[in-house]
Amino acid sequence: MNQHTVKAYGDELNQLTAEVVRMGGLAEAQVADAIESVARRDVALARAVIERDLKLDTLHYDIEKKAIRLIALRQPVASDLRRTLGAIKLASDLERTGDLAKNIAKRALILAEGEPMQLLTRSIERMGRLVSNRLRDVLDAYTASEVERAMSVWQTDDEVDEHYNALFRELLTYMMGDPRTITACTHLLFMAKNLERIGDHATNIAETVHYEITGEDMMGERPRAVPAPGEDAAPTPTLTGNDAPSAD
Amino acid sequence: MSYEPQQSPVAPMATSRLWTAGASGGLAVIILLVLAVMQPAVAGWMVMGAVAVAFTTWFVNRRPVSGAAYAPLVSEIPAEATGDTGLMTDVFEASFDPMMIISGGEADDIAGRRIVLANAAARELFPVSAAGGLLVAVIREPTVLEAIDDALFTGEASRVDYISGGANERHWRAQVHPLPEREGFAYEGQVRPEALVLLTLKDETDLRRIERMRVDFLANASHELRTPLASLSGFIETLKGHAKDDPKARDRFLDIMATQADRMSRLVADLLSLSRIELNEHIAPDGRVDLSRATSDVLDAVSVLSRERQVTVEADLGIGGADVIGERDEIVQVVQNLVDNALKYSSAGGKIEVTIERGRTLDETFQSRMADSTRLSLVTPDREQGARYVVVTVRDHGPGMAREYLPRLTERFYRIEGQKSGERQGTGLGLAIVRHIVIRHRGALSVESAVGSGALFAAAFPLAPDRKSVATQPIEEIF
Repeated sequence: MNQHTVKAYGDELNQLTAEVVRMGGLAEAQVADAIESVARRDVALARAVIERDLKLDTLHYDIEKKAIRLIALRQPVASDLRRTLGAIKLASDLERTGDLAKNIAKRALILAEGEPMQLLTRSIERMGRLVSNRLRDVLDAYTASEVERAMSVWQTDDEVDEHYNALFRELLTYMMGDPRTITACTHLLFMAKNLERIGDHATNIAETVHYEITGEDMMGERPRAVPAPGEDAAPTPTLTGNDAPSAD
Repeated sequence: MSYEPQQSPVAPMATSRLWTAGASGGLAVIILLVLAVMQPAVAGWMVMGAVAVAFTTWFVNRRPVSGAAYAPLVSEIPAEATGDTGLMTDVFEASFDPMMIISGGEADDIAGRRIVLANAAARELFPVSAAGGLLVAVIREPTVLEAIDDALFTGEASRVDYISGGANERHWRAQVHPLPEREGFAYEGQVRPEALVLLTLKDETDLRRIERMRVDFLANASHELRTPLASLSGFIETLKGHAKDDPKARDRFLDIMATQADRMSRLVADLLSLSRIELNEHIAPDGRVDLSRATSDVLDAVSVLSRERQVTVEADLGIGGADVIGERDEIVQVVQNLVDNALKYSSAGGKIEVTIERGRTLDETFQSRMADSTRLSLVTPDREQGARYVVVTVRDHGPGMAREYLPRLTERFYRIEGQKSGERQGTGLGLAIVRHIVIRHRGALSVESAVGSGALFAAAFPLAPDRKSVATQPIEEIF
């Protein structure tokens, strides 16, 4: 990084980045704990996630305030300006991520009242793992300023979509088979949607990191396999006998 | 070395006041004596002055040695302290557990938490230099950060358990212990007393895994063995009862029982090997395996079965250059399971293609190899700069799978709805075993498939470095 002649200026910038990283860590933990609370039907953990969301909001507010102060007092240019703006963008993406995690935890509380549905929560857990790993990768890329790592997260966004689509069909099949599960399945469906949105925020962060380091926008359309069901007309899953082979 | 033993500030040095006082006194005496020789008129006065200066110098020089002013400071630091610092540093460096010393800075400034010292184990685990850096750049886990803040500013020691994510999950116990405040850890020129804490990480992955393995094994075994056991006891009852004197029925029943018993023993074997692999998942293998030779061994072994089922196996393996870091038995098992699967879903007259690709980057291993199909990555390793992989791909031309089934493929006992069970029924653990072996090897696994046009599995393993460079490396390190 560039050396600043004014000592405090560099300090302030570093502090801003460090705050964003800390906020990232908190958001990561929120997502991981929310998924854990679903998988283990852990009511206490879900409550803790809901409570902790306030902290993320405070951090978001602090970072914005500090960034605005820095822009007003130091008038950063070039990479410093990008770093400052990047901090604001990341903070709002992370805050949204926290909100989505909170929503998952709230639904986990409702699910914990009903019958356990291990098969379906396991699918949510798998998708959640994937999404948390992406969030972790992109935050690692931010702390280490690695464009390549950020790019790889950006490029593999379709994996999350694929999981979401599979889960969508699975849930639909379940609901058709046993209408009593519709309430629980709807909550799970929203959870899956929330996870997919968290994945989108991770992709946004990857774009911000890319811009912050290179000064250029990510070129081209994000790779996307198919329209996700729920957004476009989704083909109904077939319930009739399917001769597809199984995984051994 | 992360820690330069510094000279004690109270040790006598060439530039210290002791030395200069003696030297300047001596110089003054000499000058006065020279003057006395040159100016005989005032010689008496000069000699008297020289004596006075000499006496004063002696007096001043004598004081610090026996005087009270410096004594307490000297006695505070044991005489052997300088010698011990080296030993302490070595002990700190040699510890198997990652250890870091963290300084506090301002209470409300997260950028003030800096790693001032990190031992070898910590430097291996985290991207941190010996000279330290920002704490948050290394650990983001909020519970650990909180514990460190508590220790820094309220002086409370604590323990926190956390899980570090990634392809290879690890369970850590972080122990935070406050250290006495200390001056001299200068950060960018500012020297002030700073609060310090010692952070020690303990890897508890083994413990947790053993715990989980026991639970999983019991649950799986009891659930999956129930059905064949029930059928076995049913047949035994029939054989004891009305089928007692019917040799034809008895033979048929015994055949079925043999199949069930065989399935049970395969299931137990698979469960055991899965548990073993899962247990070692976080320990990277360090052997060398020629992937193309391992693959050709597997193909030789299945040639009898494939001929029996009238399936042709086309192999494009090449020779050499396919050495990967791995354990031979496990890599053979990966190829074996993938080929078995392909065989199972190939009809008579079908074809299986096996290829080896060398020196691929991670992004290249992710490329699509089958037209008009859905690709899904089942295992993605942590990205490493400049890592190369050798990929083995197994493709069948069976019925294929619809895209919605792909994410769950590697789940234990997962079966796609409405599938026909083959003649040789699988245990439902094959791909789960493949997945865990690939995770352990820090490799990648992906599947491509489309209904009606078969499936392609690609397993990538990290390329082993050239033997030559391996042999020369230690020598370079010594010099």
